[in-house]
Amino acid sequence: MANEKNFSVCYSDKLKRLPPYLFGAIDILKKAAYDKKLDVIDLGMGNPDLSTPKHIIERLCDTLGNHPRSHRYPQAKGMPKFRKTVAQWCKNRFDIELDPENEVLALIGSKEGIAHLCMAYLDSGDIALAPNPAYPVHFNGILLAGGTVYDLPLLPENNYLPDLGKIPEEIAIKAKLMFLNYPNNPTTAVVDNLDFFKEVVSFAKKYNIIVCHDNAYSELCFDDYNAPSFLQVPGAKEIGIEFFSFSKTYNMAGWRLGFVVGNAEILRPLEKLKSYLDYGVFTAIQLAGVCALKDSQECVKETVKIYQKRRDIMVKGLNKLGWQVKNPKATMYLWVALPEKYKHLSSLQFAELLIEKTGIAVAPGAGFGTYGDAYVRIALITHNNRFHDALLRLKKFLK
Amino acid sequence: MLQKETKEKLNFSYARRLEQLPGYLFVEIDRKKKELIKQGVDIINLGIGDPDQPTFPHIVEAMKKALGNSQYHHYPMGTGLEQFRQVSACWYKERFGVEINFAKEIYTLIGSKEGIGHFPLAFINPGDVVLIPEPAYPVYTSSTIFAGGTPYYLPLLEKNNFLPDFSSIPQAIREKAKLLFLNYPNNPTAAVADKRFFEEVVRFADKNEIIVVHDAAYSEIYFEEEKPLSFLEVEGAKEVGVEFHSLSKTYNMTGWRIGFVVGNEKLIKGLSRIKDNLDSGVFDCIQVAGMSALEESQEAVEKIRQLYKRRRDVLVEGLIDLGWQVKMPQATFYVWTKVPDGSSSAQCATKLLEEAGIICTPGKGFGPSGEGYVRFALTVEEDRLKQSLDRISKVSF
Repeated sequence: MANEKNFSVCYSDKLKRLPPYLFGAIDILKKAAYDKKLDVIDLGMGNPDLSTPKHIIERLCDTLGNHPRSHRYPQAKGMPKFRKTVAQWCKNRFDIELDPENEVLALIGSKEGIAHLCMAYLDSGDIALAPNPAYPVHFNGILLAGGTVYDLPLLPENNYLPDLGKIPEEIAIKAKLMFLNYPNNPTTAVVDNLDFFKEVVSFAKKYNIIVCHDNAYSELCFDDYNAPSFLQVPGAKEIGIEFFSFSKTYNMAGWRLGFVVGNAEILRPLEKLKSYLDYGVFTAIQLAGVCALKDSQECVKETVKIYQKRRDIMVKGLNKLGWQVKNPKATMYLWVALPEKYKHLSSLQFAELLIEKTGIAVAPGAGFGTYGDAYVRIALITHNNRFHDALLRLKKFLK
Repeated sequence: MLQKETKEKLNFSYARRLEQLPGYLFVEIDRKKKELIKQGVDIINLGIGDPDQPTFPHIVEAMKKALGNSQYHHYPMGTGLEQFRQVSACWYKERFGVEINFAKEIYTLIGSKEGIGHFPLAFINPGDVVLIPEPAYPVYTSSTIFAGGTPYYLPLLEKNNFLPDFSSIPQAIREKAKLLFLNYPNNPTAAVADKRFFEEVVRFADKNEIIVVHDAAYSEIYFEEEKPLSFLEVEGAKEVGVEFHSLSKTYNMTGWRIGFVVGNEKLIKGLSRIKDNLDSGVFDCIQVAGMSALEESQEAVEKIRQLYKRRRDVLVEGLIDLGWQVKMPQATFYVWTKVPDGSSSAQCATKLLEEAGIICTPGKGFGPSGEGYVRFALTVEEDRLKQSLDRISKVSF
């Protein structure tokens, strides 16, 4: 070609604002370890290892084979049957009333819903409040929409709840969105009652802030704990919405199905934005979701039992090794401060050292935000027997 | 104190990007259609390009089988299964003779719409100009606006065979332009592009440093010996652009939501960094079904082409008999035709809906240069098309 200079590709400022992907460093080491044929125990990713319950799969097969109409474009906001079932499930589970027509929206997983909600509300420079540490989409969604993240530190002394009183008034006045997530990823914190959510509702009403509560782990609760919905608080639906996912509850991470419920006016622009970006969820998958929510919830109990057993093994084992860890009431993670001996390291350095020395992959806390840097997240996601292996390796490592 | 009264109704203002959008025309048509259905009118819907035939059985079977493998129930990798990318690269090589590195030059999509919708986020800053053909699929404009870009429209005119005229773009615009959308075989005009045009596109893009995004969703719905080209068949294309493919039209898989993008490694990388933060990719089982679609016999696709061709012949010949000015489309399942009496496209569409119970899409909905045209989709059975012609013959234009 006559033109000698190289065609240059320049990424947008939005893309350049994204923080470096810290888990990438672990992925590289993990791959190197696999390539060396090392026996890697991967406790890094929050990717459920269990299978989707059979009856849900059968429902999908039946729809695919017998209802060819389901092969065509879905209804973007979710088919009426899906939305009605969601409303009914929320009624049964949390005793909250939802209008299936306007207060429920189907999502291709809660992740896209959260990210697109930011795009629907945030202009360049708008402030959104996000916990730190957090599931990365809570802050990256804000950044991709051009917004500015204001950190809500989650500190152990506050039981990993944000201290709303510490938010400066001028920030509260400017803020448009606030993200929350309990049971929390990565800290595993829960709300013991509705007090904190009540505080959130009055704060949000006072400052006209939309509350987005991510309740992806609502069904993974242990012992006698039962996670509430944010919408159970009187007045919450005036200012808030809540995201749910099938990924953890029904081991359907791969299926990409979730939903958001709550204030109809808050949901409307999300639905509108999405109508320009996607065509919604495959109808056959929506119907499988209907089956998941409607049929017996025994499968959920089974899943919880398995995670609880793994939690018990790991928490007991780690404490025995002198690596102090609290017993989480929910989620499928452990959030652990770096062991005394390694406190001088960053969470990334520690995670790198750990995989090199033991073949155990964990998620460095810094990947979830600056306030996570003294921690690592251990996912309870591998076969039960492997946890004993992991503990043996850790015993050697911590000596 | 600035704080608001708690009692007043809370006010949630939308992002500007949503307010800048033009109305979504299919939603309007849908609303009118529903009204008439409620009144009991037998509507023939030639408005939306949603294939009416079921997904091919072997694809459905492949999905069912994949569901039995619990490995596929876990989070997919954003970029897509290695096998899916390999199979797509093979399909590309076989169909277009273009070499694609499956490790770096393909990304799996939840349908090409979301890929196109998210692509500008990776490259466009507020104020950057994006060149968009019109009439066109509305997503090129909305994705540009979502990223903060400024659309500059390239009219597609019949006298230019519905190809944009680059020489008419002012120098100042060329300098500010960062991205160019193209789509051949074209929706809604049903036009196809030849090699010479794509060569011109590469020269234009290279000279002005403009990223080319070619939407090839209709590449497999063709009726002539000469198949539609891939943009990447042209020398130098991979240095400047990417091409979006969809399995929706080719395999009657609109509901399944699967497509892919191929082309320049750095461009794919940019999109992947955006998407890694937005979604978790395509259900592995659907990717396995997609592999079966691309890999196994393409006989069913040929049958689909024959089916659309018969429908095309019925509708186009019938319209010509009724005195309409229609060209025989060489590709896509659309018929793009001038309004018979010189009235506006909206008047014509309304007339057809109210007097004949037929839904078509007014051309202006795709852009100002679509004025004076309507689009018919060939997504209903032949006898319904004959019935449509019969009804149209009774409408007084």
